[in-house]
Amino acid sequence: MNHDALRAVWVSHPDAHKENLMTVMNAVLEEDRSACETDRWVRVAAVIAVGLLCPALLWFAAYGRTPLVRGGYSLMAMGTAMVLFAQWLHRTWSRQALPGAADARSELQKLGLAVSRQASLFRTAPIWCAPIFLGAVLIGAWVYQERSVGGGYLLWATVGTAWVVNWMTGFSKARKLTERRSQIESLLSEFDEAR
Amino acid sequence: MAQFGCLMEAYAGPIRRLCGAYASRSADREDLFQDIFLAVWRALPSFRGDSSERTWLYRVAHNVALSWQTRDRRRSSRETALQGNLEPSDIMDLRRLALNQAVAAMSPTDRTLTLLWLEGLSAIEIEEVTGIKSTNVAVRLSRIRKHLSPVEVST
Repeated sequence: MNHDALRAVWVSHPDAHKENLMTVMNAVLEEDRSACETDRWVRVAAVIAVGLLCPALLWFAAYGRTPLVRGGYSLMAMGTAMVLFAQWLHRTWSRQALPGAADARSELQKLGLAVSRQASLFRTAPIWCAPIFLGAVLIGAWVYQERSVGGGYLLWATVGTAWVVNWMTGFSKARKLTERRSQIESLLSEFDEAR
Repeated sequence: MAQFGCLMEAYAGPIRRLCGAYASRSADREDLFQDIFLAVWRALPSFRGDSSERTWLYRVAHNVALSWQTRDRRRSSRETALQGNLEPSDIMDLRRLALNQAVAAMSPTDRTLTLLWLEGLSAIEIEEVTGIKSTNVAVRLSRIRKHLSPVEVST
Protein backbone atom coordinates (compact mmCIF):
# COMPACT_ATOMS: atom_id res chain seq x y z
CA MET A 1 0.00 0.00 0.00
CA ASN A 2 1.59 3.32 -1.00
CA HIS A 3 1.00 6.66 0.70
CA ASP A 4 -1.84 7.66 -1.61
CA ALA A 5 -3.50 4.34 -0.89
CA LEU A 6 -3.23 5.03 2.84
CA ARG A 7 -4.92 8.38 2.29
CA ALA A 8 -7.64 6.73 0.18
CA VAL A 9 -8.29 4.28 3.01
CA TRP A 10 -8.38 7.14 5.48
CA VAL A 11 -10.88 9.28 3.57
CA SER A 12 -13.20 6.32 3.06
CA HIS A 13 -14.14 6.62 6.74
CA PRO A 14 -17.86 5.80 7.04
CA ASP A 15 -18.53 8.51 9.64
CA ALA A 16 -17.81 11.13 7.00
CA HIS A 17 -21.07 10.56 5.20
CA LYS A 18 -23.66 10.12 7.87
CA GLU A 19 -24.26 13.50 9.45
CA ASN A 20 -27.25 15.71 9.37
CA LEU A 21 -25.41 19.00 9.15
CA MET A 22 -28.47 21.18 9.70
CA THR A 23 -29.10 19.52 13.08
CA VAL A 24 -25.48 19.95 14.15
CA MET A 25 -25.49 23.57 13.00
CA ASN A 26 -28.65 24.32 14.97
CA ALA A 27 -27.17 22.60 18.03
CA VAL A 28 -23.98 24.69 17.74
CA LEU A 29 -25.90 27.96 17.43
CA GLU A 30 -28.17 26.97 20.32
CA GLU A 31 -25.18 26.14 22.53
CA ASP A 32 -23.56 29.46 21.70
CA ARG A 33 -26.79 31.32 22.42
CA SER A 34 -27.23 29.50 25.73
CA ALA A 35 -23.60 30.26 26.74
CA CYS A 36 -24.20 33.97 25.97
CA GLU A 37 -27.42 33.86 28.01
CA THR A 38 -25.61 32.29 31.00
CA ASP A 39 -22.89 34.93 30.72
CA ARG A 40 -25.53 37.65 30.76
CA TRP A 41 -27.20 36.23 33.88
CA VAL A 42 -23.86 35.99 35.70
CA ARG A 43 -23.25 39.66 34.91
CA VAL A 44 -26.75 40.58 36.12
CA ALA A 45 -26.18 38.64 39.37
CA ALA A 46 -22.85 40.42 39.87
CA VAL A 47 -24.48 43.81 39.30
CA ILE A 48 -27.26 42.95 41.78
CA ALA A 49 -24.66 41.86 44.34
CA VAL A 50 -22.65 45.03 43.87
CA GLY A 51 -25.72 47.26 43.69
CA LEU A 52 -27.70 45.84 46.61
CA LEU A 53 -25.62 43.58 48.85
CA CYS A 54 -22.48 45.70 49.13
CA PRO A 55 -24.30 48.97 50.01
CA ALA A 56 -26.42 47.12 52.60
CA LEU A 57 -23.32 45.58 54.17
CA LEU A 58 -21.54 48.94 54.12
CA TRP A 59 -24.55 50.62 55.74
CA PHE A 60 -24.45 48.10 58.59
CA ALA A 61 -20.67 48.51 58.77
CA ALA A 62 -21.14 52.25 59.30
CA TYR A 63 -24.24 52.29 61.52
CA GLY A 64 -24.17 48.87 63.26
CA ARG A 65 -25.09 48.74 66.97
CA THR A 66 -21.69 47.72 68.35
CA PRO A 67 -18.07 47.59 67.14
CA LEU A 68 -18.45 43.81 66.78
CA VAL A 69 -21.39 44.20 64.38
CA ARG A 70 -19.71 47.00 62.45
CA GLY A 71 -16.48 45.02 62.18
CA GLY A 72 -18.39 41.90 61.09
CA TYR A 73 -20.29 43.66 58.33
CA SER A 74 -17.17 45.54 57.16
CA LEU A 75 -15.37 42.21 56.73
CA MET A 76 -18.36 40.72 54.91
CA ALA A 77 -18.53 43.69 52.52
CA MET A 78 -14.82 43.35 51.81
CA GLY A 79 -15.20 39.58 51.33
CA THR A 80 -18.12 40.01 48.92
CA ALA A 81 -16.06 42.41 46.81
CA MET A 82 -13.16 39.92 46.81
CA VAL A 83 -15.43 37.02 45.79
CA LEU A 84 -16.86 39.08 42.92
CA PHE A 85 -13.34 40.00 41.79
CA ALA A 86 -12.29 36.33 41.96
CA GLN A 87 -15.38 35.37 39.95
CA TRP A 88 -14.46 37.96 37.32
CA LEU A 89 -10.86 36.60 37.20
CA HIS A 90 -12.14 33.05 36.82
CA ARG A 91 -14.42 33.96 33.92
CA THR A 92 -11.63 35.92 32.21
CA TRP A 93 -9.23 32.97 32.46
CA SER A 94 -11.96 30.56 31.32
CA ARG A 95 -12.45 32.66 28.19
CA GLN A 96 -8.67 32.72 27.64
CA ALA A 97 -8.63 28.93 27.90
CA LEU A 98 -11.07 28.52 24.99
CA PRO A 99 -9.32 27.02 21.97
CA GLY A 100 -8.51 29.60 19.31
CA ALA A 101 -6.89 29.72 15.89
CA ALA A 102 -3.21 30.05 16.86
CA ASP A 103 -0.82 27.15 16.24
CA ALA A 104 -1.12 24.12 18.55
CA ARG A 105 2.02 24.94 20.60
CA SER A 106 0.93 28.51 21.34
CA GLU A 107 -2.57 27.34 22.19
CA LEU A 108 -1.25 24.70 24.59
CA GLN A 109 0.94 27.34 26.30
CA LYS A 110 -2.05 29.67 26.64
CA LEU A 111 -4.28 26.87 27.91
CA GLY A 112 -1.64 25.70 30.43
CA LEU A 113 -1.25 29.22 31.82
CA ALA A 114 -5.01 29.77 32.15
CA VAL A 115 -5.53 26.38 33.84
CA SER A 116 -2.62 26.98 36.21
CA ARG A 117 -4.07 30.37 37.24
CA GLN A 118 -7.49 28.84 37.79
CA ALA A 119 -5.95 26.10 39.95
CA SER A 120 -4.22 28.73 42.12
CA LEU A 121 -7.46 30.66 42.43
CA PHE A 122 -9.35 27.59 43.67
CA ARG A 123 -6.51 26.54 45.97
CA THR A 124 -6.57 29.93 47.68
CA ALA A 125 -10.39 30.11 47.86
CA PRO A 126 -10.47 29.70 51.69
CA ILE A 127 -8.17 32.74 51.99
CA TRP A 128 -10.06 35.12 49.73
CA CYS A 129 -13.40 33.95 51.13
CA ALA A 130 -12.05 34.35 54.69
CA PRO A 131 -13.34 37.93 55.28
CA ILE A 132 -16.94 36.76 54.75
CA PHE A 133 -16.54 33.89 57.21
CA LEU A 134 -14.63 35.99 59.76
CA GLY A 135 -17.30 38.69 59.49
CA ALA A 136 -19.97 36.08 60.18
CA VAL A 137 -17.92 34.82 63.16
CA LEU A 138 -17.92 38.36 64.61
CA ILE A 139 -21.68 38.61 64.11
CA GLY A 140 -21.90 35.23 65.89
CA ALA A 141 -19.90 36.70 68.79
CA TRP A 142 -22.37 39.57 69.02
CA VAL A 143 -25.31 37.11 68.98
CA TYR A 144 -23.57 35.07 71.71
CA GLN A 145 -23.04 38.15 73.91
CA GLU A 146 -26.22 40.06 73.31
CA ARG A 147 -28.93 37.62 72.22
CA SER A 148 -28.53 33.90 72.92
CA VAL A 149 -25.68 31.52 73.61
CA GLY A 150 -27.30 28.79 71.51
CA GLY A 151 -27.80 31.17 68.58
CA GLY A 152 -24.12 32.15 68.74
CA TYR A 153 -22.97 28.53 68.76
CA LEU A 154 -25.36 27.70 65.89
CA LEU A 155 -24.01 30.54 63.77
CA TRP A 156 -20.38 29.58 64.50
CA ALA A 157 -21.09 25.95 63.63
CA THR A 158 -22.75 26.98 60.36
CA VAL A 159 -19.85 29.28 59.45
CA GLY A 160 -17.28 26.61 60.33
CA THR A 161 -19.06 24.00 58.20
CA ALA A 162 -19.40 26.41 55.28
CA TRP A 163 -15.68 27.28 55.50
CA VAL A 164 -14.66 23.61 55.54
CA VAL A 165 -16.95 22.85 52.56
CA ASN A 166 -15.50 25.88 50.74
CA TRP A 167 -11.95 24.66 51.46
CA MET A 168 -12.70 21.09 50.35
CA THR A 169 -14.48 22.15 47.15
CA GLY A 170 -11.70 24.58 46.23
CA PHE A 171 -9.03 21.98 46.97
CA SER A 172 -10.78 19.30 44.91
CA LYS A 173 -11.23 21.61 41.91
CA ALA A 174 -7.61 22.78 42.21
CA ARG A 175 -6.42 19.16 42.24
CA LYS A 176 -8.36 18.35 39.04
CA LEU A 177 -7.05 21.46 37.34
CA THR A 178 -3.49 20.67 38.42
CA GLU A 179 -3.83 17.18 36.93
CA ARG A 180 -5.11 18.71 33.70
CA ARG A 181 -2.23 21.18 33.72
CA SER A 182 0.32 18.38 34.04
CA GLN A 183 -1.32 16.66 31.05
CA ILE A 184 -1.11 19.90 29.07
CA GLU A 185 2.54 20.30 30.06
CA SER A 186 3.39 16.79 28.94
CA LEU A 187 1.66 17.49 25.59
CA LEU A 188 3.53 20.75 25.32
CA SER A 189 6.89 19.16 26.04
CA GLU A 190 6.19 16.63 23.30
CA PHE A 191 5.45 19.44 20.86
CA ASP A 192 8.61 21.27 22.01
CA GLU A 193 10.70 18.16 21.42
CA ALA A 194 9.24 17.73 17.95
CA ARG A 195 9.88 21.37 17.15
CA MET B 1 -23.98 32.36 8.89
CA ALA B 2 -23.71 31.42 5.21
CA GLN B 3 -19.90 31.20 5.49
CA PHE B 4 -20.25 28.96 8.53
CA GLY B 5 -22.68 26.71 6.67
CA CYS B 6 -20.26 26.44 3.76
CA LEU B 7 -17.38 25.58 6.12
CA MET B 8 -19.44 22.85 7.77
CA GLU B 9 -20.44 21.44 4.42
CA ALA B 10 -16.86 21.42 3.15
CA TYR B 11 -15.06 20.13 6.24
CA ALA B 12 -17.59 17.87 7.98
CA GLY B 13 -15.85 14.77 6.58
CA PRO B 14 -12.29 15.61 7.69
CA ILE B 15 -13.53 16.76 11.09
CA ARG B 16 -15.52 13.53 11.54
CA ARG B 17 -12.36 11.57 10.82
CA LEU B 18 -10.39 13.67 13.29
CA CYS B 19 -13.06 13.04 15.95
CA GLY B 20 -12.83 9.32 15.20
CA ALA B 21 -9.12 9.38 15.98
CA TYR B 22 -9.65 11.04 19.36
CA ALA B 23 -12.80 9.44 20.76
CA SER B 24 -13.99 5.86 20.84
CA ARG B 25 -17.61 6.27 21.82
CA SER B 26 -20.12 7.59 19.35
CA ALA B 27 -21.52 10.09 21.89
CA ASP B 28 -18.02 11.45 22.56
CA ARG B 29 -17.37 11.81 18.83
CA GLU B 30 -20.61 13.76 18.42
CA ASP B 31 -19.67 15.91 21.40
CA LEU B 32 -16.22 16.67 20.02
CA PHE B 33 -17.62 17.34 16.53
CA GLN B 34 -20.01 19.88 17.99
CA ASP B 35 -17.30 21.44 20.21
CA ILE B 36 -15.08 21.92 17.18
CA PHE B 37 -17.74 23.66 15.13
CA LEU B 38 -18.74 25.76 18.13
CA ALA B 39 -15.12 26.94 18.38
CA VAL B 40 -15.10 27.56 14.61
CA TRP B 41 -18.31 29.61 14.90
CA ARG B 42 -16.82 31.69 17.72
CA ALA B 43 -13.47 32.18 15.98
CA LEU B 44 -14.96 32.98 12.58
CA PRO B 45 -15.25 36.76 13.14
CA SER B 46 -11.48 36.90 13.80
CA PHE B 47 -10.60 35.06 10.57
CA ARG B 48 -8.81 37.67 8.47
CA GLY B 49 -7.65 35.47 5.63
CA ASP B 50 -3.93 35.62 6.62
CA SER B 51 -3.77 31.87 6.12
CA SER B 52 -5.88 29.60 3.95
CA GLU B 53 -9.34 28.70 5.19
CA ARG B 54 -8.28 25.07 5.39
CA THR B 55 -5.22 25.56 7.66
CA TRP B 56 -7.18 28.02 9.81
CA LEU B 57 -9.98 25.50 10.32
CA TYR B 58 -7.56 22.64 11.03
CA ARG B 59 -5.78 24.82 13.60
CA VAL B 60 -9.04 25.44 15.46
CA ALA B 61 -10.10 21.79 15.14
CA HIS B 62 -6.82 20.32 16.41
CA ASN B 63 -6.65 22.83 19.26
CA VAL B 64 -10.15 21.83 20.38
CA ALA B 65 -9.26 18.14 20.08
CA LEU B 66 -6.03 18.52 22.10
CA SER B 67 -7.80 20.55 24.76
CA TRP B 68 -10.65 18.02 24.82
CA GLN B 69 -8.15 15.23 25.38
CA THR B 70 -6.82 16.88 28.54
CA ARG B 71 -10.22 17.11 30.20
CA ASP B 72 -10.22 14.50 32.94
CA ARG B 73 -13.71 13.07 32.38
CA ARG B 74 -12.66 11.89 28.94
CA ARG B 75 -9.05 10.99 29.58
CA SER B 76 -9.52 7.33 28.80
CA SER B 77 -10.97 8.00 25.34
CA ARG B 78 -7.69 7.93 23.45
CA GLU B 79 -6.50 4.64 24.86
CA THR B 80 -9.55 2.82 23.55
CA ALA B 81 -10.10 4.88 20.45
CA LEU B 82 -11.99 3.14 17.72
CA GLN B 83 -11.67 -0.37 19.00
CA GLY B 84 -15.25 -1.17 19.77
CA ASN B 85 -17.55 0.39 17.25
CA LEU B 86 -16.37 -0.69 13.85
CA GLU B 87 -17.47 -3.98 12.44
CA PRO B 88 -15.32 -4.64 9.43
CA SER B 89 -17.30 -5.95 6.50
CA ASP B 90 -14.83 -5.78 3.63
CA ILE B 91 -11.12 -5.35 2.95
CA MET B 92 -11.39 -1.56 2.95
CA ASP B 93 -12.97 -1.67 6.40
CA LEU B 94 -10.16 -3.91 7.66
CA ARG B 95 -7.54 -1.55 6.33
CA ARG B 96 -9.33 1.42 7.79
CA LEU B 97 -9.65 -0.31 11.16
CA ALA B 98 -5.93 -1.15 11.18
CA LEU B 99 -5.06 2.42 10.19
CA ASN B 100 -7.41 3.88 12.81
CA GLN B 101 -5.93 1.71 15.51
CA ALA B 102 -2.38 2.62 14.50
CA VAL B 103 -3.25 6.34 14.54
CA ALA B 104 -5.12 6.10 17.85
CA ALA B 105 -2.13 4.38 19.49
CA MET B 106 0.29 7.18 18.50
CA SER B 107 1.58 9.92 20.78
CA PRO B 108 -0.47 13.14 20.54
CA THR B 109 2.16 14.93 18.43
CA ASP B 110 2.56 12.06 15.99
CA ARG B 111 -1.21 11.64 15.81
CA THR B 112 -1.70 15.32 15.00
CA LEU B 113 0.97 15.21 12.28
CA THR B 114 -0.39 11.96 10.85
CA LEU B 115 -3.98 13.19 10.75
CA LEU B 116 -2.94 16.35 8.94
CA TRP B 117 -0.78 14.40 6.51
CA LEU B 118 -3.58 11.90 5.84
CA GLU B 119 -5.89 14.82 5.05
CA GLY B 120 -3.40 15.92 2.40
CA LEU B 121 -1.72 18.94 4.03
CA SER B 122 1.84 19.78 2.98
CA ALA B 123 4.72 20.06 5.50
CA ILE B 124 4.49 23.88 5.29
CA GLU B 125 0.76 23.79 6.03
CA ILE B 126 1.35 21.37 8.91
CA GLU B 127 3.89 23.83 10.32
CA GLU B 128 1.21 26.53 10.20
CA VAL B 129 -1.20 24.32 12.11
CA THR B 130 1.12 22.84 14.73
CA GLY B 131 4.00 25.29 15.12
CA ILE B 132 6.50 22.46 14.40
CA LYS B 133 9.11 23.41 11.78
CA SER B 134 8.39 21.96 8.33
CA THR B 135 11.82 20.27 8.14
CA ASN B 136 11.12 18.48 11.41
CA VAL B 137 7.61 17.66 10.20
CA ALA B 138 9.10 15.96 7.13
CA VAL B 139 11.57 13.95 9.21
CA ARG B 140 8.93 12.90 11.68
CA LEU B 141 6.43 11.99 8.97
CA SER B 142 8.94 9.79 7.22
CA ARG B 143 9.44 7.91 10.51
CA ILE B 144 5.66 7.69 10.99
CA ARG B 145 5.19 6.30 7.48
CA LYS B 146 7.69 3.56 8.31
CA HIS B 147 5.75 2.90 11.47
CA LEU B 148 2.55 2.62 9.41
CA SER B 149 4.00 0.02 7.03
CA PRO B 150 2.82 -2.89 9.25
CA VAL B 151 -0.70 -1.65 8.51
CA GLU B 152 -0.11 -2.71 4.93
CA VAL B 153 1.22 -6.09 6.01
CA SER B 154 -1.72 -6.72 8.33
CA THR B 155 -4.22 -6.17 5.55
